[in-house]
Amino acid sequence: MKIVPFVVLVVALLLVRILRHRRARGAPVATAARGPSAARQYFEATFGDVGLIAARELRERTRGRIYRIGTVLILAVVAAAIVIPTLNKNASTSHRVGVVGSLAPSVRAAVNTAGSDFHVTVRLVAEAGLASAKEALRTGQIDLVLVDGKQIILKQAITASDTSTVTEFARSLSARLATLATIAAARLSPAQAATLAHPFVVPITGLTAATTKGAARGTSVLGLILLFVLLSQYSAWILIGVAEEKSSRVVEVLLATVRAIHLLAGKVIGIGAAALAQASVIVIFALVLAKAVGSDILQGTAPLELASSLLWLVLGYAFYCWVYAAAGSLAERQDQLQSLSFPLSIPMLVGYVVSLATAGSGNTSLFFDVLAYFPPTAPFAMPVLVGLGKATWWEFLLAAALSVASTVAVARFAAGIYRRAILRTGRRVKLREVLRATS
Amino acid sequence: MGAVLELCGLTRRFGNLTALDDLTFSVPSGQVVGFLGPNGAGKTTTMRAVFGLLDLDEGEVRWNGSTVSQRQRRRFGYMPEERGLYPSMLVGEQVEYLGRLHGLGASDAAAATKYWLERLGIADRAAGRVDALSHGNQQRVQLAAALVHGPELIILDEPLAGLDPTGIDDIGAVLTEQARSGCGVLFSSHQLDQVEDLCETVTIIDHGRLVVTGSVDDLALGGSSRLVVRVEGDREAAWARNLPGVTVSEIAAGAARLVLADSIDSQEVLRAAQRAGVVTEFRFERRRLSEVFREALS
Repeated sequence: MKIVPFVVLVVALLLVRILRHRRARGAPVATAARGPSAARQYFEATFGDVGLIAARELRERTRGRIYRIGTVLILAVVAAAIVIPTLNKNASTSHRVGVVGSLAPSVRAAVNTAGSDFHVTVRLVAEAGLASAKEALRTGQIDLVLVDGKQIILKQAITASDTSTVTEFARSLSARLATLATIAAARLSPAQAATLAHPFVVPITGLTAATTKGAARGTSVLGLILLFVLLSQYSAWILIGVAEEKSSRVVEVLLATVRAIHLLAGKVIGIGAAALAQASVIVIFALVLAKAVGSDILQGTAPLELASSLLWLVLGYAFYCWVYAAAGSLAERQDQLQSLSFPLSIPMLVGYVVSLATAGSGNTSLFFDVLAYFPPTAPFAMPVLVGLGKATWWEFLLAAALSVASTVAVARFAAGIYRRAILRTGRRVKLREVLRATS
Repeated sequence: MGAVLELCGLTRRFGNLTALDDLTFSVPSGQVVGFLGPNGAGKTTTMRAVFGLLDLDEGEVRWNGSTVSQRQRRRFGYMPEERGLYPSMLVGEQVEYLGRLHGLGASDAAAATKYWLERLGIADRAAGRVDALSHGNQQRVQLAAALVHGPELIILDEPLAGLDPTGIDDIGAVLTEQARSGCGVLFSSHQLDQVEDLCETVTIIDHGRLVVTGSVDDLALGGSSRLVVRVEGDREAAWARNLPGVTVSEIAAGAARLVLADSIDSQEVLRAAQRAGVVTEFRFERRRLSEVFREALS
């Protein structure tokens, strides 16, 4: 039943999409008749030219089919990552136990207790005799045979490494039946027997806290994958957006009116807003869905880690967007973008792969610590340190400050390249030429 | 007197190539100025310099007597040679957006967009994408984008290229109308017949240098006098071949086109023709702009 909220959410999203689609088809004209959205008005009023450009970018991006389909796909993947483990966890296995001979109440109770230990629903099946019980076991009609409460027969003999549910159930049942037999042999009073049947539990503790596992690590990996996918996607938007303005020559019309730095800043802010909106929807969706289906993936350190990932998504975007914008301004045609962007994607890829391995193992190294402070890789490495509980607040702030400072330097450099290269048409501009140019 | 765009000694070098070489001319308000020159003469570079799209080595662009500022450039309209529009953006939104970037408020931009799309006959395409339009209609959208903010000066690089006669007439009518309303218009073109019909003034440059500038009438009437004379029974104009100071430049359908030296009196030519036979046609002819252009560049 916990799947119901998820289904409701998906249906609601589909309905919203269908309604918006119909509304769009119903509106014959433009723009002139439609008032600007609140976000657009805010941008325009606050930032002037930069706001107008940012508002256009935001509108065009969020209106695009790629943005919408991409968002839905990412939400589907996130939903699967959250819901599927809970389905496995909550799935109750049923075992059929063939009973040969008598079944004392104490034995019946032991069977049920052993079943509940492993979330197994036990169904008792009365068998006419041992031969028919073995035949039923052989054909798979039952999972094990209990003979007179003193013997357990499985289809196949078990080994020490066998940890299947039916094996664990059989081991547990065996131990409980042995206890019952021992109590009976000792001829104890009912009170003594009851005491032995419910032994004390001896607590087990450790000198250090348990290594982060399971839910939190799962979130860490999920957050990392999302960070990489989103950061790659948003950088590509900037790259393609700048190259499109150059190849369509609209940039010449724009720069006849606005300054190059304003055009670039508007693009970065607009696409950044679209990116942040998408990322926020994904995070909110993940939180709501996890709570609705009772997933433990966001327990423990996970919410803090999620917030850290979101912050590093913003910092990572701020760092990479300028670099990709400069690369886009060097291109003459769209097919040159891959070769231009490949060198830029290497630090991102290294940061992602190393962070993924570290999140999986839970063991950090000096090299990884360095990556957590190195601005191009920090967006991936620092959230992992946070997830593993190995970053103090001042270390986090130091890495963020380093990232912001380097972003300012990178932005100045990239804006210079953009300004010099964006109007050079006819062939791909070489970085060397731009750096040499005086104007 | 309205505002004047002055280009004063513009010089721009690209390595060893001098694209603009001390180029000086002006564009007065209320006039359509044709900007002519062979390919590579520096026309596009000049237009880019007006909008600050490239830095000048020397010289300056002045508007109304002082160096043009970024704020003043916002009052100019620009239609570059390589058309610049967002291919996937809706037509109406695109024109409105460019109007906003030129300083119009939201409602003014919407109203101006509506007006210009209707004026240029593309109102029904307002909700369509730009890349779904024909070349001619994209040209119209580009013109609407250059005019939407009511500019004081319009600069257009090859606005008539690739248009059918109807499109040329439509855009020509709009440019003339803009000039009549007090706007200065500078446009380049290789279609000299259209330039001659549209412009009051032409400026011809070559290798980045000014070759000639002046009103179309002055240029057409300037230089040597030209006569067209038809004499019955003399289709080869033998009578004119030996006249001193007279050159037969062309024989077309029995009529001779004559170029007269400055010292020659046209009445003497008439009398010589009458001696040869019955004169059925005798008229002065203006120089075509194409002739002015070729002579200027020869």
